[in-house]
Amino acid sequence: MKKSGKILYGAEPVQPFYDGRDAFMKAALEAVSEQFALDGASFYEYYEKTGLLHLRQRHACGVSFEHEENLRPLAGSAAARAIETLAAASARTPAGSFLYSPFRFDYCDPAGGRSIIPCFGLVSMERSPRKRRFSPAESARADAFLRSFLRDYYKAEFFSLHRKYDKNVSAITELTEVFATALRVRESFRHILSGIQTYFGFDRVRLYLIDEKNRKLKGELSADIRGQIKSIAYEEIPLEAGAHRFADIVLGRSSGAFMERYKDCVLYMPLAVQGVTIGLLIVDNLLSQQRIEPQELAMLKSFGGQIALAVDNSRLFDKVEELSLYDELTKLPLRRYFNQRFQEEFYRAERFKQPLALVWADVDYFKEVNDTYGHQIGDKVLKEVGRVILSNLRKIDFPCRYGGDEIVILLPQASGAEAQRLSQRLSQELAELRIPVPFSKTRELRVTVSIGVSTFPQDAATMEGLLEKADDALYWVKSHGRGKIALYSDVAEEKKKTAAGGKTDVNG
Amino acid sequence: MIIWLLSDYDYRKHLAFKSLLARFSAAYPDSNIEFSVKSRRGLWESMFAHLRDPKRNPLADVMEIPQNWTELFSKLGLLSDLSSGLEALAQRRYPGFILKELCRHEDSRAYSAPWWLEAPALFYRPQALKGAVEDPDKELATWEGFRAALDRVRAPARRGNFRELSVPGSSGSVSVADVLPRVWGRRGGLFSDDFNRATFSREETAGGIEDWLELAISGKIELFSADRFESGPRPAEDCAFIISSRKIQGSGRSGLRMLPYPGYPSGGGLMLVYNLAVSASTRDTAAAMAFVAWAMEPRNASAFAESFGVFPCLKSVFEERLRDEKETGVYRRLFSAPELKPNLMVYPTAELLLERVLWNLSLKIARRDYEREDLTRELIMAQGEADYLLSLY
Repeated sequence: MKKSGKILYGAEPVQPFYDGRDAFMKAALEAVSEQFALDGASFYEYYEKTGLLHLRQRHACGVSFEHEENLRPLAGSAAARAIETLAAASARTPAGSFLYSPFRFDYCDPAGGRSIIPCFGLVSMERSPRKRRFSPAESARADAFLRSFLRDYYKAEFFSLHRKYDKNVSAITELTEVFATALRVRESFRHILSGIQTYFGFDRVRLYLIDEKNRKLKGELSADIRGQIKSIAYEEIPLEAGAHRFADIVLGRSSGAFMERYKDCVLYMPLAVQGVTIGLLIVDNLLSQQRIEPQELAMLKSFGGQIALAVDNSRLFDKVEELSLYDELTKLPLRRYFNQRFQEEFYRAERFKQPLALVWADVDYFKEVNDTYGHQIGDKVLKEVGRVILSNLRKIDFPCRYGGDEIVILLPQASGAEAQRLSQRLSQELAELRIPVPFSKTRELRVTVSIGVSTFPQDAATMEGLLEKADDALYWVKSHGRGKIALYSDVAEEKKKTAAGGKTDVNG
Repeated sequence: MIIWLLSDYDYRKHLAFKSLLARFSAAYPDSNIEFSVKSRRGLWESMFAHLRDPKRNPLADVMEIPQNWTELFSKLGLLSDLSSGLEALAQRRYPGFILKELCRHEDSRAYSAPWWLEAPALFYRPQALKGAVEDPDKELATWEGFRAALDRVRAPARRGNFRELSVPGSSGSVSVADVLPRVWGRRGGLFSDDFNRATFSREETAGGIEDWLELAISGKIELFSADRFESGPRPAEDCAFIISSRKIQGSGRSGLRMLPYPGYPSGGGLMLVYNLAVSASTRDTAAAMAFVAWAMEPRNASAFAESFGVFPCLKSVFEERLRDEKETGVYRRLFSAPELKPNLMVYPTAELLLERVLWNLSLKIARRDYEREDLTRELIMAQGEADYLLSLY
């Protein structure tokens, strides 16, 4: 007997193991065709619910092939008898001789479930009309031959399921670790999505998070079947009943027959922490239209709590980090964060020989504003200053609330002239601000800023030097009437001239 | 090198490929080729299994695919660009209607090479139509005429196994392949002309599907028939009509005549094109390309297609076959206004959605609890899914 299945383990195999059911079926049909001089042999699975036989594999004219065929055996026919009695049955028709060898065995779900997995079907063996029919003795031999093969089918099936079980165990172990270590928002969402894709391989996984403030469900990331991850931040769904299917799911409303139809290839998983829904994870096999295995669905659902916690943790982590790095009032980064970025930008400027400008701004008479109108109005002033600065900068610029009313702005790849232009724009916009002060005579307050600018490499060759020169320029403005802008290079020139007895206007 | 061939109800295709490989091996003795035959569903599942776990589920080096799967699997990164390496493609030696659909978005790239094509047509046995149809050319030109003729045809004496209509290659249920020619004939389709929305439930589309379902409801075609299982393929002598996209073996001996598919207003027909593609993950692209180039040589392409009654795609041999064909006139009419399934990313999935609709309805018809509303409901659901897919891809 020739068995061509791939031997997976065992040095001297008595019973070979087949790498999955397809390899087994092919080997069985080829072997029985050769052994009993058949013109054709087919492997059918029988579905009791529909009463249909589904062709899985066929061997004819020396070629094994899969084919799609679904049929119902005629009542009273040999095939129907074989299925009913689970005993081999033969028939002779004008098309030839047929022998049907049925099989049925049930086994427990190796994944540990309580369900029984049935394996029911028959093998049809055919000879053309010109050839001899199947004698009772030959029928018995062929049936016994196939049954010996079916013992291996059981093993092939069991092996496939065991492999799935192994995969699931790895998934549980490794995904738990992924979810537990996810911290920073962007990275952790990526890790979570790629972790899910590595072990489940869905056509698509999408993550949406609830924006409570704006009552919206906002798209975060999507991972496709190839593991490529992209942002879906452009997707925003109003969190209102009936606005969108996703909104209904998050709000716990039924979405009807449409969902029922989807249930085999889509899973919508609301993410909840301590009873509060924070987002929605959607996995689907819509493109391939392949059924998501119930075990996979169950496992992913069991991960739901962990995923939600991981998502929530990473959001909290980012929030805490944001609080420690940014000033709540002005929304500008704090000095600690600035120092880190300043170092990076300075090294970059040095290495690539690029200019770097530093702007140091100070709100004029800020102490008097606080003393006269109170800290609430002082805070309003700072808030507005922060807003104006943030709205005027390039993406690469880095502002900071350096302390009190002092603001420092780092301008990578900017010359002194460019820094001066920005400073003028800021100064102008800030001068146009009207801070409402209801209890004052004028009902409003106007502010001005004094600004000093230094540049690398012209004014200083070190970080400390650059800060010091900008501060010098600022001090010069403050001591010359405030509300103006000074470049350190001009201030230095002016100081030289003053020392020599001359006088020049350094304002831009 | 491993090749995956699409399975066929006509085993002659598998044998023809086996002999093609034998000739290739004789011409290139160093080549080591294995092939396996996959069902459409099996091939589809293997492609996605590869995407999910490429190491455990390697692709074959060369694959036969329906032409309209090209866009999807090239976008998913599974197919190699053949346009520069394959002379027939570089020289555009294929009929324009094939290339137009294959290279829908890009003129310079092609991720599969057209191999063979078939066109559904109507065959009839004049003897069986005696007394039922006076002028077949005229009466069978429309679907209504054909349908009325089916009702008038009577089984001859001593032909207990006689059927009015046979559809070789049916998988048992009503399938997309069965209904699409009729849907196209009614000028329906699965998507709007701009491909922005699904049109499953549009009157023309639903009407085309219903025309075919009605054949099953009225018993003109038998669902889940055990015929082939226990009696083998039905001989042409046992049928009055055959709807087939292949030239039927022994059609001359059986006295079969051919007509275009009934009810096709343009006089043309739906063409089903099958291509060869090279996997993007093949370890030996040169060898895979060499095999495809060899299979596309006029002599090889022609011999392969001829052996199971279809047309080769290569222009020179396609035209030669058309000239030599006994039913040249009918084929010329079919090819005068050819229509191909769109080579779009979501189209193969849309076909699967429709396939599921037809499976559900077939089960209902077989159980005799089908109602017209079932069709409407199923189509609306499937259309919703297809629209959703369009929004995603």
